[in-house]
Amino acid sequence: MIVADRKSLDEILWMVSDCNKILIAGCKGCVTVCNVGGMKEVGILASALKIARKKEGKPLEVDEKTLERQCDPEYVEQIRDIYDDYDAVVSMACGVGPQFLSEAYPSQRFFPAVNTTFFGGATEHGIWEERCAGCGTCIIHYYDGMCPIARCSKSIQHGPCGGSARGKCEINAELDCIWDMIVKKKMEQGRLDDLLMVKAAKDWRTARDGGPRKSIREELTK
Amino acid sequence: MEGECHFLEGNLRARKRVDYVKKTLEELGIEPERVEIFNLSSAMGPQFAEIAKGMTDKIKELGPSPVNC
Repeated sequence: MIVADRKSLDEILWMVSDCNKILIAGCKGCVTVCNVGGMKEVGILASALKIARKKEGKPLEVDEKTLERQCDPEYVEQIRDIYDDYDAVVSMACGVGPQFLSEAYPSQRFFPAVNTTFFGGATEHGIWEERCAGCGTCIIHYYDGMCPIARCSKSIQHGPCGGSARGKCEINAELDCIWDMIVKKKMEQGRLDDLLMVKAAKDWRTARDGGPRKSIREELTK
Repeated sequence: MEGECHFLEGNLRARKRVDYVKKTLEELGIEPERVEIFNLSSAMGPQFAEIAKGMTDKIKELGPSPVNC
């Protein structure tokens, strides 16, 4: 899923400083699962903003609405009847949400309440870790399901590097060296020779290096 | 007693959540000591009364919440 962290209250308060009435739009997708922008978090942010503004002597009216998703046009329609009742809309979805909303409702302002961080999963309750860099050309079959692009600090494909020590990465003593893990697994499975395979250079044009990306599935288009 | 909850880890989680509320209150410019968590067994009536009195005194000292003025 897409993982995000909520922005500081100060930053959100600054965004809505000229507003008297706002809508906070949550999303029932990834940000609900990572406990940052679902119905519950929308309620918490709404209460915090109302308290902060009441304290300043500039009360803020805040309505709440959590959409099924903010990354599909049909669900973005869920605020069609109300979007212009507000001075601004604060989206708690990932960075896709405010942009889809902005495209659907050009006359309204949309602000992000979260910092979208990475594609990952929960390793335990309350802890999420990056697992995919969305590079557009998956190569983890060469590495038994472990991704050196997302999980190596240098994204190297021929590690480990000299910064790997006792299974940890030099950038952070708590960060596992993915190359140490890849090599160990190959050794355990008796397939270390796999790493001798000569491969063509990775095509980075499918990653961000090739500019904004688009995926077209002809069989699904109208 | 901390860590001896009937619900095993429930009181440890509750403490983390109280810490989160305190942090949020601080961000809002409201005294975080308006919220506290104490661990007591059901047989500690006098200590409960003492804590309740202490909290009441503390809140009186802090005065009304700036949001409710």
